[in-house]
Amino acid sequence: MISTSDFIFLLRGVPATLSISFIAFIIGFAIGIPLTMVRLYTPRIYASMANAYVKVFLGVPVLVIMLFFYFGLGKYLPPFRSPYMSAIAALGFRSGAYQSQIFKSAMNSVPRDQILAARSLGLTKTQIIRYIILPQAFIVALPGLGSEIALLIKDSAYSFILGVLDITMHADILRRAHKLFLAPYLAGALLYIMMTFPIANYLDRLGSRLKDRYGLR
Amino acid sequence: MSGEIILEGKGLWKRYGSLDVLKGVDISVRKGETKVIIGPSGSGKSTLLRILGLLEPPTKGEIYFRGENVYAGNLNLNRIRAKIGFVFQEPSLFRHLTALGNVKLGLKHVLKMKDEEAEKKAMEMLRLVHLEEWADHYPAQLSGGQQQRVGIARALAMDPDIILFDEPTASLDIELTWEVIEVMEELARKGITMLVVTHEIPFAKEVADEICFMEEGLIKECAPPEIMLRNPKTPRARSFLKRLLGAYGGI
Ligand SMILES: Nc1ncnc2c1ncn2[C@@H]1O[C@H](COP(=O)(O)OP(=O)(O)OP(=O)(O)O)[C@@H](O)[C@H]1O
Ligand SMILES: [Mg+2]
Repeated sequence: MISTSDFIFLLRGVPATLSISFIAFIIGFAIGIPLTMVRLYTPRIYASMANAYVKVFLGVPVLVIMLFFYFGLGKYLPPFRSPYMSAIAALGFRSGAYQSQIFKSAMNSVPRDQILAARSLGLTKTQIIRYIILPQAFIVALPGLGSEIALLIKDSAYSFILGVLDITMHADILRRAHKLFLAPYLAGALLYIMMTFPIANYLDRLGSRLKDRYGLR
Repeated sequence: MSGEIILEGKGLWKRYGSLDVLKGVDISVRKGETKVIIGPSGSGKSTLLRILGLLEPPTKGEIYFRGENVYAGNLNLNRIRAKIGFVFQEPSLFRHLTALGNVKLGLKHVLKMKDEEAEKKAMEMLRLVHLEEWADHYPAQLSGGQQQRVGIARALAMDPDIILFDEPTASLDIELTWEVIEVMEELARKGITMLVVTHEIPFAKEVADEICFMEEGLIKECAPPEIMLRNPKTPRARSFLKRLLGAYGGI
């Protein structure tokens, strides 16, 4: 297919792809959890503002968000003059919306009787969220979080348009250098699968195993 | 019964959308009393219990806990909820915690006991429901009857002034029903104040001080078991009991 040295060249894109995806995931987590709390447990004005955030970031292509950060905000905010930072921010903010969807449905999956039981013990609302809802919701959310990480790894490829030296960019450089179309992209695709599949699969299995152990739905 | 009134509902109404589920229920339970509520499905028994347990507010009416109007002024509802135990129809154990963890939770986070003290108390409660050997099991590893008994231990651990039971055996088969009923009878004999929705007539006959018949959002009649089971006043209670007792081959 392609030579070993070309493949090693492709690997140089891995750090960018992985770091963008994982930092975006962490930002998404840091946004997603509080966003979900606001959507579920605060007065309607705040909840609907949080819902609007989710609708916007779910409804707009992530490439458009990326271009917006880089070309739009980049003009006024220096950090976004970096393609790398713009890519992370766009993916991270969108991931916040996706992760909020995942956590919301996971938190809603905790049966009402358990919440009533917790209330009957005299636990406060905050304690119920902390000790009853979140621990179970995290388990239920695991498979969804696995898919979300995989999605981030794949969608980080858009950052190539801004000029980030990720896997896709390296594949494209090979294409231009060798006038080969299929092989560099296939090798790149293989790399993506080698990253996305194990993570998504692991969290999916872990989630199922824990759900079975605790009898969660 | 002539003890202090522990829990009292006055003129309780509950409306869901356009449906009136409770239409002015008056009920009171005295210290040491075991009161049983029976009635057809949909008559509002669970709703009444949830409201008396302060798990949701009534649309109208008042609730008094040991003489205090709980929704007047700004009392700390959680403090009162902790004094009213609740056992649900469906097992409602926290699935991510062991039997012991379920019983400990309220002790640690509501009563603020130290871990050691909470553990000791929780084990004691599990012993009361004959489950000390199952302390480290998760709900998914327990039978329905065992889960309900852990639920009872969890309520009991808080040293409540009253425990409300909402058909705790309705989802269990006969054998499991028995082990739960037995525990409840032991509690009643110990003088624990209980308000129990159940159709286990042998239980009611054995330990109830009074049986109340509920229908269409109202308590139609309350009487001691020997009267209610033999000769209820209202025709509806009579026909309901006839069917119910028929299921037990007459008593
Ligand atoms: N949260 C709710 N929202 C809307 N309707 C409700 C709600 N809870 C109960 N109801 C309705 O109120 C009526 C009484 O319900 P409830 O569960 O109190 O009856 P029940 O006497 O406990 O019946 P069962 O013997 O079947 O348990 C039913 O028609 C039910 O559909
Ligand atoms: Mg009911």
